[in-house]
Amino acid sequence: MSEPLQPDVTVDSRGATCPGPLMDLIGKVKPADEGTVFELRTGDSSSKNDVPEWVEKAGHELLDVVEHEDGYWSIYVKKV
Amino acid sequence: MTGYAIVLASGELERLQAVANIASVAAASDIPVDVFATMDGLEAFDAETVERRDFEAGPVAQAMLAAEDAEVPLFTESLGRAAEIGPMSLYACELSMDLLEKDLEDYVDLFDGVLGVSGFLNEAADKNVVFV
Repeated sequence: MSEPLQPDVTVDSRGATCPGPLMDLIGKVKPADEGTVFELRTGDSSSKNDVPEWVEKAGHELLDVVEHEDGYWSIYVKKV
Repeated sequence: MTGYAIVLASGELERLQAVANIASVAAASDIPVDVFATMDGLEAFDAETVERRDFEAGPVAQAMLAAEDAEVPLFTESLGRAAEIGPMSLYACELSMDLLEKDLEDYVDLFDGVLGVSGFLNEAADKNVVFV
């Protein structure tokens, strides 16, 4: 079993609906240094699908998407 | 293509929310967006209307307004936030304001200015135009 990723920044957007979590993530990613690893927490299933689309388009790296038993996902993104 | 020019002519809350969501993500992704609020679309930004949340709302919008377990920002909040982090501008239609004898102070404090049709066409000249 692999070690859980250790983010530099955690963005907790649980409770927010699309596009809130994505907007929260973008707001943190834009001013950050390259190489910074983010964990976005969201309970919004549409964001779970939409955020990776943005990550690819923006040229960042999607490290992992982890589903938790208590109804949310952790999306790990590395700023490139 | 250098972005989008969105003509927002509808006062339906579903359409207002959709425009705000798309404009927000585009602007946050550094894609330029101009939103030109006209006709009923402009009146949705009337300060009293926004305060009372007195919008034309179908089933989806009614569910959004009634949601208690989810944070659903109103279109005004989304647009305000987008303008802070990306290249998004919001313009009010001069004709609509003149017909109702209003000025910008009657609307929520989000607008970058007032434009007529020619002004909008100048802004939209290098953008994809989307009519809502």
